[in-house]
Amino acid sequence: MADNVQPFFDLSGKHALVTGATGALGRALAGALADAGADVSVTTLNNDAGEETEANSILNECWSLGRKGEAKRVDLTDDAAVDAAISELEESIGPISILVNATHRANIKPVLDTSLAEWEREIERNATSVFVTSQAAGRRMLERGTGRIVNLVSVLHDRGAPNCALFGASQGAVLGFTKSLGLEWGRGGVTVNALGIGFYDDVEGLQGDEEVHAVLERYIPVRRLGTPGDLQGPLVYLVSDEAAFVDSELIVVDGAIQIHA
Amino acid sequence: MIREQFDLSGTTAIITGAGSGLGRSMALSMAAAGADIVGAARRLEPLEESKAMVEELGQRFTVITCDVIDSEAVNAMVAEAISEHGRIDILINNAGGGAAGRGKTLPELTDGDWHLGIDTNLSSAFYCSRALIPHYLENGGGRIINVTSGWGFRGGRGNFMYSISKGGVIQLTKALAMTYARDNIRATCIAPGAIPYQAPPEMQEQMGERQPIGRVGVVEDIGTMAVLLSSAASDYVSGETVLVDGGAIAGGLIPAGIEPVVGG
Repeated sequence: MADNVQPFFDLSGKHALVTGATGALGRALAGALADAGADVSVTTLNNDAGEETEANSILNECWSLGRKGEAKRVDLTDDAAVDAAISELEESIGPISILVNATHRANIKPVLDTSLAEWEREIERNATSVFVTSQAAGRRMLERGTGRIVNLVSVLHDRGAPNCALFGASQGAVLGFTKSLGLEWGRGGVTVNALGIGFYDDVEGLQGDEEVHAVLERYIPVRRLGTPGDLQGPLVYLVSDEAAFVDSELIVVDGAIQIHA
Repeated sequence: MIREQFDLSGTTAIITGAGSGLGRSMALSMAAAGADIVGAARRLEPLEESKAMVEELGQRFTVITCDVIDSEAVNAMVAEAISEHGRIDILINNAGGGAAGRGKTLPELTDGDWHLGIDTNLSSAFYCSRALIPHYLENGGGRIINVTSGWGFRGGRGNFMYSISKGGVIQLTKALAMTYARDNIRATCIAPGAIPYQAPPEMQEQMGERQPIGRVGVVEDIGTMAVLLSSAASDYVSGETVLVDGGAIAGGLIPAGIEPVVGG
Protein backbone atom coordinates (compact mmCIF):
# COMPACT_ATOMS: atom_id res chain seq x y z
CA MET A 1 0.00 0.00 0.00
CA ALA A 2 1.58 3.16 -1.26
CA ASP A 3 0.34 5.48 1.47
CA ASN A 4 0.92 2.88 4.19
CA VAL A 5 -2.36 3.79 5.92
CA GLN A 6 -3.92 0.74 7.49
CA PRO A 7 -7.67 0.41 6.99
CA PHE A 8 -8.44 -1.32 10.29
CA PHE A 9 -8.39 -0.79 14.02
CA ASP A 10 -8.71 3.00 14.10
CA LEU A 11 -9.65 4.17 17.60
CA SER A 12 -10.08 7.86 16.77
CA GLY A 13 -12.84 9.57 18.73
CA LYS A 14 -12.98 6.94 21.46
CA HIS A 15 -12.11 7.59 25.09
CA ALA A 16 -10.27 4.76 26.84
CA LEU A 17 -9.67 4.34 30.55
CA VAL A 18 -6.65 2.28 31.60
CA THR A 19 -6.75 1.38 35.29
CA GLY A 20 -3.75 0.72 37.45
CA ALA A 21 -1.71 2.41 34.75
CA THR A 22 1.64 2.53 36.41
CA GLY A 23 4.80 0.80 35.36
CA ALA A 24 5.88 -0.43 31.97
CA LEU A 25 2.67 -2.36 31.37
CA GLY A 26 0.35 0.61 31.87
CA ARG A 27 2.65 2.78 29.80
CA ALA A 28 2.63 0.34 26.85
CA LEU A 29 -1.13 -0.19 26.94
CA ALA A 30 -2.09 3.47 27.33
CA GLY A 31 0.46 4.43 24.71
CA ALA A 32 -0.88 1.92 22.19
CA LEU A 33 -4.45 3.17 22.58
CA ALA A 34 -3.36 6.79 22.18
CA ASP A 35 -1.21 5.88 19.19
CA ALA A 36 -4.21 4.18 17.53
CA GLY A 37 -6.22 7.39 17.96
CA ALA A 38 -8.03 7.17 21.29
CA ASP A 39 -8.15 9.76 24.03
CA VAL A 40 -6.73 8.02 27.09
CA SER A 41 -7.32 8.53 30.80
CA VAL A 42 -5.53 6.55 33.46
CA THR A 43 -5.95 5.74 37.14
CA THR A 44 -3.47 4.69 39.76
CA LEU A 45 -3.67 1.34 41.48
CA ASN A 46 -3.23 2.18 45.13
CA ASN A 47 -4.36 5.78 45.61
CA ASP A 48 -0.66 6.46 46.06
CA ALA A 49 1.26 9.71 45.37
CA GLY A 50 4.24 7.96 43.75
CA GLU A 51 1.92 6.19 41.37
CA GLU A 52 0.15 9.45 40.63
CA THR A 53 3.42 10.94 39.40
CA GLU A 54 3.94 7.94 37.17
CA ALA A 55 0.36 8.03 35.86
CA ASN A 56 0.87 11.67 34.94
CA SER A 57 4.06 10.80 33.09
CA ILE A 58 2.21 8.12 31.07
CA LEU A 59 -0.49 10.63 30.33
CA ASN A 60 2.07 13.14 29.11
CA GLU A 61 3.14 10.65 26.44
CA CYS A 62 -0.47 10.34 25.27
CA TRP A 63 -0.84 14.14 25.20
CA SER A 64 2.31 14.39 23.10
CA LEU A 65 0.42 12.38 20.43
CA GLY A 66 -2.28 15.03 20.43
CA ARG A 67 -4.80 13.13 22.55
CA LYS A 68 -6.81 14.30 25.52
CA GLY A 69 -7.03 12.51 28.84
CA GLU A 70 -6.66 12.85 32.59
CA ALA A 71 -4.99 10.96 35.39
CA LYS A 72 -7.00 10.09 38.51
CA ARG A 73 -5.57 9.04 41.84
CA VAL A 74 -8.20 6.66 43.15
CA ASP A 75 -8.55 3.51 45.25
CA LEU A 76 -9.88 0.94 42.77
CA THR A 77 -11.58 -1.08 45.50
CA ASP A 78 -13.66 1.93 46.61
CA ASP A 79 -16.76 1.75 44.43
CA ALA A 80 -18.08 5.21 45.26
CA ALA A 81 -14.70 6.81 44.57
CA VAL A 82 -14.32 4.96 41.26
CA ASP A 83 -17.83 5.93 40.20
CA ALA A 84 -17.14 9.57 40.99
CA ALA A 85 -13.81 9.48 39.12
CA ILE A 86 -15.46 8.01 36.03
CA SER A 87 -18.20 10.65 36.14
CA GLU A 88 -15.57 13.39 36.24
CA LEU A 89 -13.55 11.84 33.42
CA GLU A 90 -16.61 11.50 31.21
CA GLU A 91 -17.60 15.07 31.91
CA SER A 92 -14.22 16.55 31.07
CA ILE A 93 -12.99 14.24 28.28
CA GLY A 94 -16.02 12.35 26.93
CA PRO A 95 -17.90 9.06 27.26
CA ILE A 96 -15.63 6.12 28.10
CA SER A 97 -16.18 3.35 25.55
CA ILE A 98 -13.02 1.37 26.31
CA LEU A 99 -11.97 0.07 29.73
CA VAL A 100 -8.66 -1.74 30.12
CA ASN A 101 -8.12 -3.28 33.53
CA ALA A 102 -4.36 -3.32 33.84
CA THR A 103 -4.30 -3.87 37.58
CA HIS A 104 -1.77 -6.63 37.30
CA ARG A 105 0.46 -7.18 40.31
CA ALA A 106 1.83 -10.42 41.68
CA ASN A 107 2.60 -11.38 45.26
CA ILE A 108 4.85 -14.41 44.74
CA LYS A 109 4.94 -16.21 48.06
CA PRO A 110 4.64 -19.71 49.60
CA VAL A 111 1.16 -20.35 50.96
CA LEU A 112 2.48 -21.30 54.43
CA ASP A 113 4.14 -17.90 54.73
CA THR A 114 1.05 -15.99 53.65
CA SER A 115 -1.33 -14.26 56.01
CA LEU A 116 -5.06 -14.06 55.44
CA ALA A 117 -4.65 -10.30 55.02
CA GLU A 118 -2.15 -10.86 52.20
CA TRP A 119 -4.54 -13.25 50.47
CA GLU A 120 -7.34 -10.72 50.71
CA ARG A 121 -5.08 -7.96 49.46
CA GLU A 122 -4.11 -10.02 46.37
CA ILE A 123 -7.74 -10.76 45.52
CA GLU A 124 -8.72 -7.13 46.13
CA ARG A 125 -6.11 -5.45 43.99
CA ASN A 126 -6.27 -7.92 41.11
CA ALA A 127 -9.89 -9.08 41.07
CA THR A 128 -12.10 -6.82 43.21
CA SER A 129 -10.73 -3.79 41.37
CA VAL A 130 -11.84 -5.34 38.07
CA PHE A 131 -15.38 -5.84 39.40
CA VAL A 132 -15.56 -2.27 40.68
CA THR A 133 -14.29 -0.55 37.53
CA SER A 134 -16.22 -2.83 35.15
CA GLN A 135 -19.46 -2.18 37.01
CA ALA A 136 -19.00 1.59 37.02
CA ALA A 137 -17.79 1.95 33.44
CA GLY A 138 -19.96 -0.88 32.09
CA ARG A 139 -23.19 0.62 33.45
CA ARG A 140 -22.51 3.73 31.38
CA MET A 141 -21.44 1.74 28.29
CA LEU A 142 -24.69 -0.26 28.39
CA GLU A 143 -26.74 2.92 28.54
CA ARG A 144 -25.03 4.00 25.33
CA GLY A 145 -25.20 0.52 23.77
CA THR A 146 -21.51 0.18 23.02
CA GLY A 147 -18.29 -0.61 24.83
CA ARG A 148 -15.18 -2.74 25.13
CA ILE A 149 -13.77 -4.09 28.36
CA VAL A 150 -10.41 -5.89 28.32
CA ASN A 151 -8.94 -7.50 31.42
CA LEU A 152 -5.33 -8.57 31.73
CA VAL A 153 -4.98 -12.16 32.91
CA SER A 154 -1.80 -14.13 33.57
CA VAL A 155 -1.31 -17.61 32.12
CA LEU A 156 -1.22 -18.57 35.80
CA HIS A 157 -5.04 -18.54 35.68
CA ASP A 158 -4.63 -21.94 34.04
CA ARG A 159 -1.16 -23.30 34.71
CA GLY A 160 0.27 -23.62 38.17
CA ALA A 161 3.67 -22.70 39.56
CA PRO A 162 5.05 -23.00 43.07
CA ASN A 163 4.59 -19.82 45.13
CA CYS A 164 1.97 -18.53 42.68
CA ALA A 165 -1.18 -19.74 44.45
CA LEU A 166 -2.34 -16.28 45.57
CA PHE A 167 -1.63 -14.66 42.27
CA GLY A 168 -3.05 -17.57 40.26
CA ALA A 169 -6.26 -17.51 42.29
CA SER A 170 -6.72 -13.82 41.58
CA GLN A 171 -6.18 -14.44 37.86
CA GLY A 172 -8.66 -17.32 37.77
CA ALA A 173 -11.17 -14.99 39.38
CA VAL A 174 -10.70 -12.37 36.69
CA LEU A 175 -11.09 -14.87 33.85
CA GLY A 176 -14.25 -16.37 35.32
CA PHE A 177 -15.63 -12.86 35.78
CA THR A 178 -14.73 -12.01 32.17
CA LYS A 179 -16.50 -15.01 30.64
CA SER A 180 -19.80 -14.51 32.42
CA LEU A 181 -19.83 -10.74 32.16
CA GLY A 182 -19.31 -10.92 28.38
CA LEU A 183 -22.47 -13.02 28.18
CA GLU A 184 -24.43 -10.67 30.44
CA TRP A 185 -23.54 -7.59 28.45
CA GLY A 186 -22.90 -8.88 24.90
CA ARG A 187 -26.46 -8.20 23.77
CA GLY A 188 -26.10 -4.69 25.09
CA GLY A 189 -23.22 -4.00 22.73
CA VAL A 190 -20.55 -4.29 25.39
CA THR A 191 -17.97 -7.03 24.88
CA VAL A 192 -15.79 -8.28 27.73
CA ASN A 193 -12.58 -10.11 26.89
CA ALA A 194 -9.21 -10.91 28.39
CA LEU A 195 -5.64 -10.55 27.21
CA GLY A 196 -3.43 -13.33 28.49
CA ILE A 197 0.07 -12.43 29.63
CA GLY A 198 2.88 -14.92 29.91
CA PHE A 199 6.18 -14.11 31.56
CA TYR A 200 7.19 -10.56 30.69
CA ASP A 201 10.16 -8.38 31.42
CA ASP A 202 9.29 -5.21 33.34
CA VAL A 203 6.18 -6.86 34.84
CA GLU A 204 5.84 -8.25 38.38
CA GLY A 205 5.91 -12.00 38.76
CA LEU A 206 7.93 -15.16 39.12
CA GLN A 207 10.33 -13.96 36.42
CA GLY A 208 11.58 -11.19 38.72
CA ASP A 209 13.95 -13.76 40.19
CA GLU A 210 17.18 -13.87 38.15
CA GLU A 211 17.52 -17.67 38.17
CA VAL A 212 13.89 -18.18 37.25
CA HIS A 213 14.33 -15.64 34.45
CA ALA A 214 17.21 -17.63 32.99
CA VAL A 215 15.20 -20.86 33.14
CA LEU A 216 12.22 -19.19 31.49
CA GLU A 217 14.35 -17.91 28.61
CA ARG A 218 15.11 -21.51 27.74
CA TYR A 219 11.65 -22.87 28.53
CA ILE A 220 9.44 -20.40 26.65
CA PRO A 221 8.96 -21.94 23.18
CA VAL A 222 9.78 -18.76 21.24
CA ARG A 223 12.91 -18.37 23.37
CA ARG A 224 12.36 -14.96 24.85
CA LEU A 225 10.35 -13.37 27.61
CA GLY A 226 7.60 -11.05 26.49
CA THR A 227 7.66 -7.29 26.78
CA PRO A 228 4.67 -5.03 27.42
CA GLY A 229 4.97 -3.94 23.78
CA ASP A 230 3.91 -7.44 22.70
CA LEU A 231 0.42 -6.73 24.06
CA GLN A 232 -0.10 -3.55 22.05
CA GLY A 233 -1.31 -5.05 18.76
CA PRO A 234 -3.68 -7.61 20.31
CA LEU A 235 -5.07 -4.91 22.65
CA VAL A 236 -5.73 -2.46 19.82
CA TYR A 237 -7.48 -5.26 17.93
CA LEU A 238 -9.66 -6.29 20.89
CA VAL A 239 -10.94 -2.77 21.65
CA SER A 240 -11.59 -1.91 17.99
CA ASP A 241 -14.93 -1.93 16.19
CA GLU A 242 -13.59 -4.84 14.12
CA ALA A 243 -13.63 -7.13 17.17
CA ALA A 244 -17.40 -6.82 17.72
CA PHE A 245 -17.98 -10.59 17.42
CA VAL A 246 -15.23 -11.50 19.89
CA ASP A 247 -16.79 -11.80 23.34
CA SER A 248 -16.06 -13.67 26.59
CA GLU A 249 -12.78 -14.73 25.01
CA LEU A 250 -9.15 -14.79 26.08
CA ILE A 251 -6.33 -14.04 23.63
CA VAL A 252 -3.09 -15.37 25.07
CA VAL A 253 0.08 -13.44 24.21
CA ASP A 254 2.71 -15.62 25.80
CA GLY A 255 5.26 -16.93 23.31
CA ALA A 256 3.37 -20.26 23.42
CA ILE A 257 4.17 -21.08 27.05
CA GLN A 258 0.57 -22.00 27.87
CA ILE A 259 0.61 -24.82 25.30
CA HIS A 260 4.05 -26.08 26.33
CA ALA A 261 4.12 -29.61 27.70
CA MET B 1 2.55 4.15 14.60
CA ILE B 2 1.03 1.16 16.31
CA ARG B 3 -1.34 0.48 13.41
CA GLU B 4 1.65 -0.04 11.12
CA GLN B 5 2.18 -3.30 13.02
CA PHE B 6 -0.85 -4.62 11.12
CA ASP B 7 0.64 -3.70 7.75
CA LEU B 8 1.01 -6.72 5.44
CA SER B 9 2.68 -4.86 2.56
CA GLY B 10 5.25 -7.00 0.80
CA THR B 11 3.86 -10.28 2.14
CA THR B 12 2.12 -13.09 0.27
CA ALA B 13 -0.49 -15.40 1.77
CA ILE B 14 -1.74 -18.75 0.52
CA ILE B 15 -5.40 -19.09 1.46
CA THR B 16 -7.13 -22.40 0.84
CA GLY B 17 -10.85 -22.20 0.15
CA ALA B 18 -10.36 -18.60 -0.98
CA GLY B 19 -13.28 -18.73 -3.41
CA SER B 20 -16.04 -18.16 -0.89
CA GLY B 21 -17.16 -17.15 2.56
CA LEU B 22 -14.52 -16.89 5.23
CA GLY B 23 -11.64 -17.58 2.82
CA ARG B 24 -12.68 -14.80 0.48
CA SER B 25 -13.18 -12.43 3.40
CA MET B 26 -9.70 -13.19 4.73
CA ALA B 27 -8.28 -12.59 1.24
CA LEU B 28 -10.02 -9.22 1.03
CA SER B 29 -9.09 -8.03 4.53
CA MET B 30 -5.49 -9.12 4.14
CA ALA B 31 -5.26 -7.53 0.69
CA ALA B 32 -6.69 -4.33 2.17
CA ALA B 33 -3.83 -4.51 4.68
CA GLY B 34 -1.36 -4.86 1.80
CA ALA B 35 -0.88 -8.61 1.22
CA ASP B 36 -0.75 -10.42 -2.11
CA ILE B 37 -2.84 -13.57 -2.18
CA VAL B 38 -2.56 -17.06 -3.62
CA GLY B 39 -6.06 -18.50 -3.66
CA ALA B 40 -6.37 -22.27 -3.78
CA ALA B 41 -9.67 -24.11 -4.16
CA ARG B 42 -11.28 -26.86 -6.18
CA ARG B 43 -13.48 -24.68 -8.36
CA LEU B 44 -12.09 -22.08 -10.76
CA GLU B 45 -15.02 -19.66 -11.10
CA PRO B 46 -15.32 -18.61 -7.44
CA LEU B 47 -11.54 -18.11 -7.32
CA GLU B 48 -11.74 -15.89 -10.41
CA GLU B 49 -14.37 -13.79 -8.61
CA SER B 50 -12.15 -13.47 -5.54
CA LYS B 51 -9.25 -12.55 -7.82
CA ALA B 52 -11.21 -9.68 -9.38
CA MET B 53 -12.16 -8.39 -5.91
CA VAL B 54 -8.60 -8.55 -4.59
CA GLU B 55 -7.17 -6.92 -7.72
CA GLU B 56 -9.64 -4.09 -7.26
CA LEU B 57 -7.84 -3.43 -3.95
CA GLY B 58 -4.58 -3.14 -5.87
CA GLN B 59 -3.05 -6.47 -4.80
CA ARG B 60 -1.99 -9.57 -6.74
CA PHE B 61 -4.13 -12.70 -6.63
CA THR B 62 -2.86 -15.95 -8.10
CA VAL B 63 -5.49 -18.57 -8.87
CA ILE B 64 -4.49 -22.21 -8.32
CA THR B 65 -7.13 -24.91 -8.55
CA CYS B 66 -6.31 -27.65 -6.09
CA ASP B 67 -8.14 -30.27 -4.08
CA VAL B 68 -6.43 -30.00 -0.70
CA ILE B 69 -7.26 -33.55 0.32
CA ASP B 70 -4.85 -34.73 -2.41
CA SER B 71 -1.33 -34.37 -0.98
CA GLU B 72 0.40 -34.45 -4.37
CA ALA B 73 -1.87 -31.70 -5.62
CA VAL B 74 -1.06 -29.73 -2.46
CA ASN B 75 2.69 -30.13 -3.02
CA ALA B 76 2.28 -28.88 -6.59
CA MET B 77 0.11 -25.95 -5.44
CA VAL B 78 2.67 -24.83 -2.86
CA ALA B 79 5.53 -25.18 -5.37
CA GLU B 80 3.63 -23.10 -7.91
CA ALA B 81 2.81 -20.44 -5.29
CA ILE B 82 6.49 -20.17 -4.32
CA SER B 83 7.66 -19.99 -7.92
CA GLU B 84 5.02 -17.36 -8.84
CA HIS B 85 5.62 -15.10 -5.83
CA GLY B 86 9.19 -15.94 -4.86
CA ARG B 87 8.32 -16.01 -1.20
CA ILE B 88 5.33 -17.08 0.88
CA ASP B 89 4.91 -15.54 4.33
CA ILE B 90 1.48 -16.71 5.47
CA LEU B 91 -0.55 -19.91 5.04
CA ILE B 92 -4.22 -19.99 5.95
CA ASN B 93 -5.63 -23.49 6.13
CA ASN B 94 -9.24 -22.50 5.69
CA ALA B 95 -10.64 -25.14 3.31
CA GLY B 96 -12.92 -27.62 5.02
CA GLY B 97 -16.47 -28.71 5.46
CA GLY B 98 -18.93 -30.86 7.33
CA ALA B 99 -20.70 -32.66 4.50
CA ALA B 100 -19.10 -36.09 4.94
CA GLY B 101 -21.56 -38.62 6.36
CA ARG B 102 -24.10 -35.95 7.26
CA GLY B 103 -27.37 -37.33 8.56
CA LYS B 104 -26.06 -40.85 9.17
CA THR B 105 -25.97 -42.64 12.52
CA LEU B 106 -22.63 -44.00 13.72
CA PRO B 107 -23.24 -47.59 12.53
CA GLU B 108 -24.18 -46.21 9.11
CA LEU B 109 -20.94 -44.27 8.64
CA THR B 110 -18.62 -45.96 6.15
CA ASP B 111 -14.83 -46.03 6.14
CA GLY B 112 -15.09 -43.68 3.17
CA ASP B 113 -17.22 -41.19 5.16
CA TRP B 114 -14.70 -41.29 8.00
CA HIS B 115 -11.66 -40.72 5.80
CA LEU B 116 -13.34 -37.99 3.77
CA GLY B 117 -14.38 -36.16 6.94
CA ILE B 118 -10.91 -36.35 8.49
CA ASP B 119 -9.14 -35.54 5.22
CA THR B 120 -11.32 -32.54 4.40
CA ASN B 121 -10.60 -30.67 7.61
CA LEU B 122 -7.47 -32.15 9.14
CA SER B 123 -5.31 -33.96 6.56
CA SER B 124 -5.65 -30.96 4.24
CA ALA B 125 -4.15 -28.60 6.84
CA PHE B 126 -1.43 -31.14 7.60
CA TYR B 127 -0.54 -31.52 3.90
CA CYS B 128 -0.38 -27.76 3.27
CA SER B 129 1.71 -27.12 6.39
CA ARG B 130 4.08 -29.97 5.59
CA ALA B 131 4.56 -28.73 2.04
CA LEU B 132 5.37 -25.16 3.11
CA ILE B 133 7.54 -25.68 6.22
CA PRO B 134 10.84 -26.22 4.32
CA HIS B 135 10.30 -22.89 2.56
CA TYR B 136 9.65 -21.16 5.90
CA LEU B 137 12.78 -22.71 7.42
CA GLU B 138 14.82 -21.50 4.45
CA ASN B 139 13.35 -18.00 4.70
CA GLY B 140 13.73 -17.60 8.43
CA GLY B 141 10.08 -17.87 9.41
CA GLY B 142 6.44 -17.54 8.51
CA ARG B 143 2.87 -17.82 9.77
CA ILE B 144 0.40 -20.67 9.66
CA ILE B 145 -3.20 -19.93 10.57
CA ASN B 146 -5.61 -22.84 10.85
CA VAL B 147 -9.37 -22.62 10.99
CA THR B 148 -11.28 -24.76 13.47
CA SER B 149 -14.81 -24.54 14.85
CA GLY B 150 -16.62 -24.48 18.15
CA TRP B 151 -17.16 -28.19 17.45
CA GLY B 152 -13.43 -28.61 17.94
CA PHE B 153 -13.98 -27.76 21.63
CA ARG B 154 -17.37 -29.12 22.61
CA GLY B 155 -19.37 -32.24 21.95
CA GLY B 156 -22.23 -32.59 19.53
CA ARG B 157 -24.67 -35.43 19.12
CA GLY B 158 -24.05 -37.43 15.96
CA ASN B 159 -21.22 -35.09 14.99
CA PHE B 160 -18.22 -37.36 14.55
CA MET B 161 -15.77 -36.54 11.79
CA TYR B 162 -16.35 -32.79 11.92
CA SER B 163 -15.77 -32.48 15.68
CA ILE B 164 -12.88 -34.91 15.66
CA SER B 165 -11.10 -33.32 12.72
CA LYS B 166 -11.63 -29.80 14.07
CA GLY B 167 -10.31 -30.88 17.47
CA GLY B 168 -7.32 -32.28 15.60
CA VAL B 169 -6.77 -28.92 13.90
CA ILE B 170 -6.36 -27.28 17.34
CA GLN B 171 -3.73 -29.88 18.26
CA LEU B 172 -2.03 -29.52 14.87
CA THR B 173 -1.71 -25.82 15.65
CA LYS B 174 -0.05 -26.54 19.00
CA ALA B 175 2.31 -29.13 17.50
CA LEU B 176 3.39 -26.73 14.75
CA ALA B 177 3.81 -23.88 17.23
CA MET B 178 5.94 -25.95 19.60
CA THR B 179 8.03 -27.62 16.91
CA TYR B 180 8.95 -24.46 15.02
CA ALA B 181 8.80 -21.73 17.67
CA ARG B 182 12.59 -21.29 17.58
CA ASP B 183 12.50 -20.99 13.80
CA ASN B 184 10.35 -17.89 13.95
CA ILE B 185 7.32 -19.77 12.69
CA ARG B 186 4.07 -18.87 14.43
CA ALA B 187 1.05 -21.18 14.25
CA THR B 188 -2.33 -19.98 15.41
CA CYS B 189 -5.93 -20.98 14.90
CA ILE B 190 -9.22 -19.15 14.43
CA ALA B 191 -12.46 -20.66 15.70
CA PRO B 192 -15.36 -18.93 13.98
CA GLY B 193 -18.78 -19.13 15.57
CA ALA B 194 -22.09 -18.93 13.72
CA ILE B 195 -21.46 -17.03 10.50
CA PRO B 196 -24.17 -18.35 8.16
CA TYR B 197 -23.39 -15.97 5.31
CA GLN B 198 -25.32 -18.06 2.79
CA ALA B 199 -28.50 -18.35 4.87
CA PRO B 200 -31.53 -16.16 4.16
CA PRO B 201 -31.92 -13.17 6.50
CA GLU B 202 -34.82 -14.65 8.50
CA MET B 203 -32.81 -17.79 9.23
CA GLN B 204 -29.80 -15.69 10.23
CA GLU B 205 -32.04 -13.81 12.64
CA GLN B 206 -33.34 -17.04 14.18
CA MET B 207 -29.82 -18.38 14.59
CA GLY B 208 -28.75 -15.06 16.04
CA GLU B 209 -31.35 -15.29 18.79
CA ARG B 210 -29.69 -18.50 20.00
CA GLN B 211 -26.26 -16.88 20.24
CA PRO B 212 -25.23 -15.32 23.55
CA ILE B 213 -24.48 -12.01 21.87
CA GLY B 214 -27.91 -12.01 20.22
CA ARG B 215 -26.81 -12.12 16.61
CA VAL B 216 -24.71 -14.11 14.19
CA GLY B 217 -21.35 -12.97 12.88
CA VAL B 218 -20.32 -11.71 9.45
CA VAL B 219 -17.42 -12.93 7.34
CA GLU B 220 -15.49 -9.69 7.92
CA ASP B 221 -15.19 -10.68 11.60
CA ILE B 222 -12.85 -13.44 10.48
CA GLY B 223 -11.04 -11.33 7.88
CA THR B 224 -9.81 -8.81 10.41
CA MET B 225 -8.80 -11.54 12.88
CA ALA B 226 -6.69 -13.01 10.07
CA VAL B 227 -5.00 -9.61 9.68
CA LEU B 228 -4.12 -9.60 13.40
CA LEU B 229 -2.73 -13.14 13.33
CA SER B 230 -0.82 -12.62 10.05
CA SER B 231 0.89 -9.43 11.10
CA ALA B 232 3.75 -8.28 13.31
CA ALA B 233 1.08 -7.17 15.80
CA SER B 234 0.81 -10.78 17.01
CA ASP B 235 4.50 -11.71 16.99
CA TYR B 236 4.36 -13.08 20.57
CA VAL B 237 1.18 -15.11 19.94
CA SER B 238 1.67 -18.75 18.99
CA GLY B 239 -0.10 -22.05 19.55
CA GLU B 240 -3.20 -20.09 20.45
CA THR B 241 -6.73 -20.73 19.19
CA VAL B 242 -8.89 -17.62 19.22
CA LEU B 243 -12.67 -17.83 19.23
CA VAL B 244 -14.57 -15.31 17.13
CA ASP B 245 -17.98 -16.53 18.11
CA GLY B 246 -19.98 -13.93 20.00
CA GLY B 247 -19.47 -15.78 23.28
CA ALA B 248 -20.93 -19.06 21.99
CA ILE B 249 -18.30 -21.35 23.47
CA ALA B 250 -18.08 -19.41 26.73
CA GLY B 251 -21.82 -19.67 27.23
CA GLY B 252 -23.10 -22.46 25.05
CA LEU B 253 -26.26 -21.97 23.09
CA ILE B 254 -28.63 -20.34 25.50
CA PRO B 255 -30.39 -22.97 27.62
CA ALA B 256 -34.13 -22.41 28.06
CA GLY B 257 -34.86 -20.11 30.96
CA ILE B 258 -31.44 -18.47 31.15
CA GLU B 259 -31.73 -15.05 29.62
CA PRO B 260 -28.89 -12.57 29.51
CA VAL B 261 -29.62 -9.46 31.50
CA VAL B 262 -28.90 -6.21 29.75
CA GLY B 263 -28.76 -3.22 32.02
CA GLY B 264 -27.09 -2.21 35.23
